[in-house]
Amino acid sequence: MTEEPYRWLEAISNRREYVREQLKGGTPVFALSRPEGILLLGVGQGQQSKVFEIYDRHAFAALGHPVDIEKLRQSAIEAAHLEGFNRSPADVTLRRLISFALSTSLKNAFEQIYAPPIMAEALFAELGETPAQDVLVRLHYDGNHHYETSGVLLAFGHPQREEEAAAWIRQTVKPDDTLPRTASVCLAAWTALMGEKPFAGLPAPVEPLLQIEGRTVEAALLDRKLTGRVHYRRLDLAALPR
Amino acid sequence: MNGNGDFLALLPPSPFARLSAADGAPPALQATTVFAFHCAEGVLIAGDHRATSGNLVFSDKTEKILELDSHSLMAIAGVPATAFEMARTLQTTFEFYRRSQLQPMSLAAKVRALSRLLHDNLPATLQGVGTVAPIFAGLELADPNARPVIYFYDPLGATFEATAHAASGSGSTSIKSVLHYLENWGHPRPQEMSLEQATNLANRLLMTAAEFDTATGGVRPEKGLFATIKLLTREGIRTLPPEEHETYWDQAKS
Repeated sequence: MTEEPYRWLEAISNRREYVREQLKGGTPVFALSRPEGILLLGVGQGQQSKVFEIYDRHAFAALGHPVDIEKLRQSAIEAAHLEGFNRSPADVTLRRLISFALSTSLKNAFEQIYAPPIMAEALFAELGETPAQDVLVRLHYDGNHHYETSGVLLAFGHPQREEEAAAWIRQTVKPDDTLPRTASVCLAAWTALMGEKPFAGLPAPVEPLLQIEGRTVEAALLDRKLTGRVHYRRLDLAALPR
Repeated sequence: MNGNGDFLALLPPSPFARLSAADGAPPALQATTVFAFHCAEGVLIAGDHRATSGNLVFSDKTEKILELDSHSLMAIAGVPATAFEMARTLQTTFEFYRRSQLQPMSLAAKVRALSRLLHDNLPATLQGVGTVAPIFAGLELADPNARPVIYFYDPLGATFEATAHAASGSGSTSIKSVLHYLENWGHPRPQEMSLEQATNLANRLLMTAAEFDTATGGVRPEKGLFATIKLLTREGIRTLPPEEHETYWDQAKS
């Protein structure tokens, strides 16, 4: 089949459609660069996690097939630790991780049409000294990726809705908002995305929205203030001052 | 990708293992003094600052108490090149396991990991070029009632749990004697000592060891140079800053 270029294009296009279809049920994950650090947010079910620590200053959140999320996570952790061990922790940068460890293998997995694709939409975050130095990367199932400079990034299975939600969060979150306040804006966007509601005219939540019925809200912070090597910590949003 | 959290499996085989053993070279301990004992607040682990090469002082500012993760410490005695590399390997091994498996490594596995590194280092130990005899202190995080524990190792990797104290390095004999004496006839005994008393004891012990061992040094309170002292408790690891040493030292004098 692949000897004919046209058939190959068709196969790739079918594959894209198939992966998109599979990712439709996934719930969005968020990363926001804030003065306190980088806030990561996901909404899971029960014990299933969507937000993970990768390395000293690196974190990851994804939606998709749990097995594929796990594959991506393990690859990123292995590459980061090997690099940090063989060179130094300062040499572990997101740009390098994405380019040598992750995007190439995602692209290969996607284009080798006899092998299973990796069905996950992911985002990666690297903590800098200041919010301006933070690095946020959106990584797609086909290895395609982009670096987000606005400080607000989310991953969702529907590209257009993802862009709308990001734009709404950018204009709704204020620079001096607390972490719970920032998180509740994200969760309002989460609710709108899942309920297929339009973002035009969507008000910011008046009361802090920190929980979602029947789901587990997962929040983590790459904390700028922590002085040790590890900057990642889980957040209990309800316990923070609003 | 193996997915089981074993960082060492990712690395190429250890270069130490490729050395062949020489005949008749006994494992010889290198210069240093490190020790750990239980005090009222937790486990206190301390070391001097001297690194020697034969009869030469190589450095008087060496850090020999290394933090492996939030709740484990290693005090190194022996050949620094090998010992520092072991500490670095363990640091990455523990963090890699914690992140990839989403749970901290158990204390037993940490203790075993160091034993395995020592065992892999056997040829270098037998040749007398890479002998390491470390002390390890850690705490089982999964057990809410667990208290910090001290382990010591022989250069071949055998593991021993220390009930009260452990010491390693060329100056350790004097320290073991003093600690043994205090353990049996001291008022208070080291395990009942406050942090202030334990800190002063640790600094005095290293000064005592330096008196009889040329390879131990770098602790001179009159010049504001104190031992490296770290305290391991349920809350984590705390390094005592020089000002705190100085305060305790001055209070004991007056």
